[in-house]
Amino acid sequence: MIDGEKKTENAQPMKAEPPATEEARSEPLEAQDLVDRIQRLQAEFENYKKRVARETGEREERAVDRFLLDVLPLHDGLQLAFENHNRDHDADAFVSGVERIFAHFEQILTGHGVAQIDAHGQVFDPALHEALMSLTSDQERNVIVEVFSPGYVRNGRTLRPSKVGVSQGPAQAPEEEE
Amino acid sequence: MKEKIIGIDLGTTNSCVAILEGGKPEVMNNAEGERVTPSVVAFTDGGERLVGRLAKRQAITNPTNTIASIKRKMGTDHRVEISTDGKAATYTPEQISAMILQKMKEDAEAHLGGKVTKAVITVPAYFNDAQRQATKDAGKIAGLEVMRIINEPTAASLAYGLDKEDDQTILVYDLGGGTFDVSVLEIGEGVFDVLSTDGDTQLGGDDFDQRVIDWLADEFRKDTGIDLSSDPSAMQRLKDAAEAAKKELSSRMETTINLPYLTADAAGPKHLEKKLSRAKFEGMIDDLLQRTIRTVDGALREAKKTSDDIDQVVLVGGSTRIPKVQELISSRIPGKINREINPDEVVAAGAAIQAGVLSGEVDEIVLLDVTPLTLSIETLGSVATPLIERNTTIPTEKTKTFTTAEDSQPAVEIHVVQGERKMAADNKSLGKFQLTGIPPAPRGIPQIDVTFNIDADGILHVTAKDKATSKSASITIQDSSRLDDAEIERMRGEAEEHAEEDKKRSELAEVRNQADQLVYSAEKALSDLGEKVDGAKRSEIEDQIRRLREKLDGEADIAELRQGIEELSKASQEVAQQAYQQTQETGDASTSGEGEATSDEDDGDYIDAEYDEK
Repeated sequence: MIDGEKKTENAQPMKAEPPATEEARSEPLEAQDLVDRIQRLQAEFENYKKRVARETGEREERAVDRFLLDVLPLHDGLQLAFENHNRDHDADAFVSGVERIFAHFEQILTGHGVAQIDAHGQVFDPALHEALMSLTSDQERNVIVEVFSPGYVRNGRTLRPSKVGVSQGPAQAPEEEE
Repeated sequence: MKEKIIGIDLGTTNSCVAILEGGKPEVMNNAEGERVTPSVVAFTDGGERLVGRLAKRQAITNPTNTIASIKRKMGTDHRVEISTDGKAATYTPEQISAMILQKMKEDAEAHLGGKVTKAVITVPAYFNDAQRQATKDAGKIAGLEVMRIINEPTAASLAYGLDKEDDQTILVYDLGGGTFDVSVLEIGEGVFDVLSTDGDTQLGGDDFDQRVIDWLADEFRKDTGIDLSSDPSAMQRLKDAAEAAKKELSSRMETTINLPYLTADAAGPKHLEKKLSRAKFEGMIDDLLQRTIRTVDGALREAKKTSDDIDQVVLVGGSTRIPKVQELISSRIPGKINREINPDEVVAAGAAIQAGVLSGEVDEIVLLDVTPLTLSIETLGSVATPLIERNTTIPTEKTKTFTTAEDSQPAVEIHVVQGERKMAADNKSLGKFQLTGIPPAPRGIPQIDVTFNIDADGILHVTAKDKATSKSASITIQDSSRLDDAEIERMRGEAEEHAEEDKKRSELAEVRNQADQLVYSAEKALSDLGEKVDGAKRSEIEDQIRRLREKLDGEADIAELRQGIEELSKASQEVAQQAYQQTQETGDASTSGEGEATSDEDDGDYIDAEYDEK
């Protein structure tokens, strides 16, 4: 147990308030006071930043939690679908169950502002689409002729681009190589 | 406010921009919300110019007008020929690099909400004068005054503050997406000297992904007889899955690659499901990793150093997250491995620090200390009640209001402790003092402000002040922050180790305080209400008070105490209700209990009240 230099005293609080009308106050002390104030302000800012960072992290965690609560029923639903199928071997019932789960899933996505990107037949736009291949077709150049996987936007941001095949236009003179 | 200078890591595959904020480098997100920007530029029909992620997405449909890895051409006579809408144009590597830099600049401006005109840009240590000049020119074309060109390994070392350690030999191992560099540096009096560089311009994380892709395609062919190589969609899914698996294996020993409906044949859909262990993955890339170690050896030889001469190793590039990479390096070089900073961002972070030095920001920032451990006072039940949490930047001041635990308590003892344990006795005692002369009052009534004030030198002043009398007492503790690292580590470790039992003990203390408080207020209620409580009820409550007290005196556990609390509070609530009704009926306002609500939070001895603001 280490006690630093310890003194117990019945005195005024340690930190002096700025003196009211003390004329004889020396300048170095004033400067020291200002340095102390700046340091405290800086430290307060640092502590504020730490608090914000911690709170942001916590908020992110909560946001993930909330989303998981939304999607867990889908997991429950699929689990039930498998249990039922294993017991009754009723393929039709299984499919209609899964269809309902899928509809629920779409509802959740819509509720979160998620929309599928319309790609087929559209003009290729790298803000929305990612080109996986380029192929000759009857379509005009730069038109999307194949969608490999759908893309999604959420509130105006591209969540995931559609993965697409893009037309080079009809076969003609070979493309120049780099 | 001085003009900010940004730090840019202009990479072959990706670029990254950072700035010094409050003395710390902060990476700035680009317009797409990502921390790194692909170093890709594209020109589209319609005359649009794309940089970064968007350029990368359209590369396949527009290969001749999409430029990647322009960094490899810097300082050469290479010309980029572009043809859009039938019009041809020619660009120098500087101009293409400038387009990347301009995006970095614009993204930084959007982030900072102001103009940016100055930058520090990093280049590989092996860049010659022509390449450096070309980089500088690229900056100028982008509208940036390039305040300095610094070497990437130097920037990474700066990010770790290695410039502050004298006479060190540093090895920087930079395994990026597509290039691998090793540099050996020497630092003396704050100046970095590059002793040697070596590398492999065609080796990186993409090669590791490719090994996994090849393995998956191979396995799939063995299982199904289907060749995926001509199926771009399936190959893209393999690529994404391979990269994800690689990343996952940095933190886990095994991962499952699951790609349902990957393709189909006449027999129906085909799924891919493969387990990949870390060991197997390491086996797949072992020859590549061994190649990097041979390069390390080459760089050491050229620098005329042996592995024993290396004091510090700095890891740069996303692929250094692979545990095997770290393992191979540490078995080869005994020096200290620095890998705490995000390896994708460490070069930009170092550039930002250099920028801060040039703008004078670094000099102006006085780096403030933090409290290494929590500072608390002991409250009823020997609980450590924190006033200043650990990692709080000092100087700082914090006040909490406490109260007495007994009726007419004449003095309180302020016991200052340091540490992360829940119980005061398990922490380090820094000192104690008494505040005396508290006027007689029922428990819970006096308000005693306890203020912890730590100055910039880490000296802690603790003051306790009775609000009623303004009487105060204080103590000064000199060494509250002068603990050596080993002691701090030990104390933190102990707190983690005992977290579970500490929690139980503090919970017990809390319940005991609650029980104690309830006994007190029930007794008070009985005496206040006097005749208003009928005899049977009174003896029932007295009985329950006696039993709860016995539990408190004995070794009752949390559950027993909770049960006693529940019984007593139910009984006394009835009495209170009854008395309250009577009071209302008779208009009797003589019971001056002054807000003696039974609060569950009360801590006793000096009860921890709600507010903590000065």
